[in-house]
Amino acid sequence: MSARRDVAVVGGATVKFGIRPATWPELAQEAGLALFRAVPALASADVDSLFVGAAEPERFAFQSHVAPLAAEQMGLTPHRILQRTELACASGQSAIRSAYAAIASGLSDVAVAVGVEKMNLPSMAEANTAMACVMDRPWDGVHGATAPPFFAMVAQRHMLEYGTTEDQLAAVSEKNHRFANANPTAQFHEKTFAREKLLSLPLVAPPLRLGDCSSMTDGAAAVVLTSGELARRYTDSPAWIRGSGQYSDFHNLANAGSLTDWVGLRRAGAEAFRSAGITPGDLDMAELHDCFTISEIVEYEALGLCPKGEGGRFVADGRSDLGGDLVVNPRGGLLGCGHPLGATGVAQAVEVFEQFAQKVDPRRQVPDPHWALVHNLSGSANVHSLMVYERGG
Amino acid sequence: MTEAAVELAKKKRPVEAAPSATGAASVPFLLDFYPLERDDQTRLARFYAALRDGRLTTTRCRRDGGLLWPPRTVCPRCHDDALDWVDLPMRGQIYAFSAVLAGAPLGMEGEVPFVVGLVDLDGAPLRLFGRIEGTPWTGVRIGQAVRVEAYTIPDGRVFYRFRMDGR
Repeated sequence: MSARRDVAVVGGATVKFGIRPATWPELAQEAGLALFRAVPALASADVDSLFVGAAEPERFAFQSHVAPLAAEQMGLTPHRILQRTELACASGQSAIRSAYAAIASGLSDVAVAVGVEKMNLPSMAEANTAMACVMDRPWDGVHGATAPPFFAMVAQRHMLEYGTTEDQLAAVSEKNHRFANANPTAQFHEKTFAREKLLSLPLVAPPLRLGDCSSMTDGAAAVVLTSGELARRYTDSPAWIRGSGQYSDFHNLANAGSLTDWVGLRRAGAEAFRSAGITPGDLDMAELHDCFTISEIVEYEALGLCPKGEGGRFVADGRSDLGGDLVVNPRGGLLGCGHPLGATGVAQAVEVFEQFAQKVDPRRQVPDPHWALVHNLSGSANVHSLMVYERGG
Repeated sequence: MTEAAVELAKKKRPVEAAPSATGAASVPFLLDFYPLERDDQTRLARFYAALRDGRLTTTRCRRDGGLLWPPRTVCPRCHDDALDWVDLPMRGQIYAFSAVLAGAPLGMEGEVPFVVGLVDLDGAPLRLFGRIEGTPWTGVRIGQAVRVEAYTIPDGRVFYRFRMDGR
């Protein structure tokens, strides 16, 4: 693997997340507009490859073959590699991972990874059907389960086994919504949530309340990645991809094992840290997949940011906040930004790039960040995908 | 036409929309959660036939003896297709549960609120996910006993669910 080339994210942009009066192709157009504005040195002709993260356009937008559709909307004519990547909630990171592999191998020099998802439909029952198909549809989804009841069971077991409290769950939501207040692209940019307010919101899947759950969101985001020698043509502050890890060990819920010890994340995390040559203590920030409050708590533990069972205390004590051990989800997380499945992983990479460039709102700027981790889980936490970024000087 | 194609043509039935689980409105095939169960549609038809007889079954690998869930046609460990059908226990205990209070898929909105959970089968190393019937979610507790029952949807197909055990 010594022949592998260096790869960097050299720019990116996120469109406004929310319940958007815009179709899938229109969101892709917005992502293209935002990307070319954010990276003035980038010309369409520079881009040899396009990777399109989209989880369920067949269900949400009645559209297949979205890679050339996105290319047309964004004004790109890929001539090396064009493909869609689908990994449910991690579809966006999948696009970046594929672009990374293509550039590292020498097949591509300049690649765009875009994530697009349109989730708010006239019939939300159909949207919920799409979400239930992420599970093993004829065996698990058939019982009516989408993500909330699964992660509710994770929370229930974590509370039973480790004494985690509703107040600690709310601490995750309060922190991430506070950061979202300082992120104009976040779905809940204008909303503030005090902890008492979060604890009074209606139950969605007990013990999880509305404020414990990320939402069905329309959105898009795009990044451009280049080989090491081309990076400085586009930016003075490249975000270098230094490590990666991924693990999948089950799909049907019967084969999940422990709900509270995410073995796949422990393994993928260990590989991500090993390949980057760092330890969890080196991280300045992390974009962790907080599809639900309990997810972020279990992730602290599986990544070794705190001992097993102490994730609730970790967040309640402010150790994942500004001024803590590291800052987790300064973008506002999935809880504060919303979770357009294909766009989320790309928006997280945009956040890392902008944090490294130190150009985000000071209320969420991580002081002088050098190492960042991005994590996505997908489905019932049966796949974990991670990337480690280092700030270029 | 080949012999196989003739056989297939004989078995063809008119295209019809499947009724939803609640029987309210029919849903198109690609919005229908329930698996196709006839022997010309799946190699797991015996699972549904046994369920109709009141038995929950799955496949076990003849080579390594491992119980496989869901039932399948090839052992993922041995990569061998010599599998036997075996009966599973019809009772178990709730390991974890929650309830769907909002956001149900199409065709299931009428069943909200409903309980789902993971159930450890008595005496078998399997923890199955499923709908739990028989009590409101506020009355469900970890460790409670449930039994497996066949649930018939309006078009006659069957699937398994759990029901609070009245023992």
